[in-house]
Amino acid sequence: MTIELATGLPLATDLPLVVDALSRLFQPDTLARILVEGLGKAAVYFVLAVGLTLVFGLMGVLNFSHGAMAMLGAYVGGLLMVLAVSDGTGTVARIAFFFVAVVAVFAVLTAFGSTIEYSLIRPIYDRTPMYQILLTFGIALILEEVTRIVVLARGIQPDPPWSAAMATAPALFTDRYDVLGAPIRGLYAFEIVLGVLAVAGVWLFLNRTLYGLYIRAGSEDPEMVEALGIDVRRAFTIVFGLGTGLAGIGGVFLMWDPLWGPSALLAIDVLLYAFVVVIIGGLGSFEGTVAASLLVGITDSFTTWLFSTGIVTFTGLPALTIFGLLVLMLILRPQGLYGVEEVGGH
Amino acid sequence: MAISPTDPDRDRVPDGGADSALESPADEDDSIDAGSTAPTDSSDENWLAAYTRDHAAHLLVVAAFALYPVVLGVLDRTPLATEASSFLPGLTAMIVVLYMGLFAMSFDFVSGYTGYLSFGHAAFYGTGAYVVVLAANGKVPGVPADTPFMVLLLLAAVLAFVVALAIGAVSFRLSGVYFAMITLGFAQVIYEFVRHWEYVGANPSEGATISRVDGLSIGVPYVDSLNVAVGRLAGDSFENVLGMGVDVSATMTSYYALGVVVLVCYFAMQRILHSPFGAVMVAIRENEERARAIGYDVFWYKMAAFSASGFFAGIAGAVFAAYARGASPDNSFYFLVTADALIMAIIGGIGTLAGPLYGALFHEWLEDILTTENDGIATYLEQLLPQDVLTTEVAGMTLSDFFGTVLTGRAPLYLGIIFVLFVLFVPDGLLGSVRNRVGGPVGKRLPAVLDRYRR
Repeated sequence: MTIELATGLPLATDLPLVVDALSRLFQPDTLARILVEGLGKAAVYFVLAVGLTLVFGLMGVLNFSHGAMAMLGAYVGGLLMVLAVSDGTGTVARIAFFFVAVVAVFAVLTAFGSTIEYSLIRPIYDRTPMYQILLTFGIALILEEVTRIVVLARGIQPDPPWSAAMATAPALFTDRYDVLGAPIRGLYAFEIVLGVLAVAGVWLFLNRTLYGLYIRAGSEDPEMVEALGIDVRRAFTIVFGLGTGLAGIGGVFLMWDPLWGPSALLAIDVLLYAFVVVIIGGLGSFEGTVAASLLVGITDSFTTWLFSTGIVTFTGLPALTIFGLLVLMLILRPQGLYGVEEVGGH
Repeated sequence: MAISPTDPDRDRVPDGGADSALESPADEDDSIDAGSTAPTDSSDENWLAAYTRDHAAHLLVVAAFALYPVVLGVLDRTPLATEASSFLPGLTAMIVVLYMGLFAMSFDFVSGYTGYLSFGHAAFYGTGAYVVVLAANGKVPGVPADTPFMVLLLLAAVLAFVVALAIGAVSFRLSGVYFAMITLGFAQVIYEFVRHWEYVGANPSEGATISRVDGLSIGVPYVDSLNVAVGRLAGDSFENVLGMGVDVSATMTSYYALGVVVLVCYFAMQRILHSPFGAVMVAIRENEERARAIGYDVFWYKMAAFSASGFFAGIAGAVFAAYARGASPDNSFYFLVTADALIMAIIGGIGTLAGPLYGALFHEWLEDILTTENDGIATYLEQLLPQDVLTTEVAGMTLSDFFGTVLTGRAPLYLGIIFVLFVLFVPDGLLGSVRNRVGGPVGKRLPAVLDRYRR
């Protein structure tokens, strides 16, 4: 391993370059860039991961089909946008259509997720949790492949992001704006707004609704919740549906993002990133998911900046760091930032 | 077990079983009963007959694998040639069965027997593969490019063993989902690293190929005549073997040579699982607290099981790289490679050592008949069906295009459906279900089952 490190990560030993970079780090434009991009990424990570947290918190099921659901969301949302938007559609109309797509995708995927839970996962709750994980993994395989078939049959290439859907973004978001001297894509501001809305929405759901209460109670002590006479089975169906719906919204959020975009590969990519966020935050914890998305998002934008300055010439740095963060967190604090020790006994 | 006190040789007979399940105490009673109903007048049998009898299942499987290429060759000359090439796995697919089967077995070795789901098992497979590729290109310091493959195989396995020790030392502080996730995390870190590691080749995300012209030579050390070169299209081929008029192509040479490696690894793993050590592994799976309370230092047992598993996964990766003459991050280190092993283990039967091999066979068979090449079901249907049927429009596309879209290269879809059905309805997998049916490890019960039908 030492050999690999020595040759693989060509950390520049040029001292002036490091000093120069450090001095540049504390310039307002650099900080603004890292912060705004980081918050934008954090918003995306939050929406992608929060559904996974809800499902795990209550049910103890690590939902491997979460990424596939986000992929479906991206394609369904993309389809709506491509149908609704033409060249002459104005910015406001495009944003309005976007929110229509969010609502539509949420409705469709919530129904879909509930159906899957009711018909496939419910029969095997009496088995060890591993079988529920395996089942959702199988569902992910099927969904990904069916999507590939449909996308191929419709002449949309399955692997590179679907450019027609990405092109529906209003010019407002694709342009760059000057923030404290740093050119920042408008989309990031939009993502931050959406992220704040999502955090507020999920927080209200968890703290101001009956099912939110069930979920919070269920992630603390599932046996007690059951003993109190709450129909946990029905709560499972609803929460799995909501988790799927949130994954779908996450997919719609990715639709305009140049780093993601609708593609069949999302099924795995989203899943891995959502896992990282959920585990760093602590499985089943809402506060943890918020904190972990901020941590991961800002780390991501910081390492991206680090790479762009030429201090590190290793192109895989952002992805490497994010998975490294996961490993580090599990070593230092296995239950995650806000996690309870041994959540749900899994 | 019905061991005759007058026949000490019976003692040394390993209680072989194609699936080597270590029974729970209840099963043990069951098999003692079964043993006593089996013919006990075996004192006049010599040890070889007894050994053969105990390993009947193994012999049958090995014979089936050994004869398969010959059967394929014979079928190729009969009128059924088209059907054979469309519906039976070809020789190249069978080689994939061998190394992926070994990898899935090594995954099952730790995940099925200690109950710790190793979600980053591809890290060891990839280590094995990259050691071979880099060493054959002369890029591993201290290892010349012309090192014999047997040495590289061991080097790859030992390095995978060391990587597994390092990962295990940190990961075994956790259990359940957390263990699965930390192993996945480690594997993904290595994957991202290798994918961008320029030392490997000009385009590291594409991986590297072995640049030497000849195949890597596998064989028995110090016995030159048994050395054969393996590698797709670069190995040895033999014409008119032993004057029998049988030609052995380079692919077939690889098949047999790699098959021997896999067989040796299988028996090594089987032997470990049947030892007291293996019994502790199962004890950990069934109840870790109790195993600790009995006085076993479970951490070191888990470490040993994990790194032994890494060792065999490294061999699987090395065999793959030698045959494919190259490796890329996506077909060695990636998360989905572990997922493939998991699918094979579940379909074959998790917790049965040989099961994953049958899972691999099923997996590759499906992939082979739904291939994008010209010898799959889609091509077969196009030749079989009349032209006017093929050009019928179905949902806006011709039937022939429809076949191309839903069949060609669509193995993951059908695999996913079958996987879900297995998880729902056949949770014990193929071999596990057969074992439940015959009431014990298949290899052990097979003689008794056969006896029932003998008269």
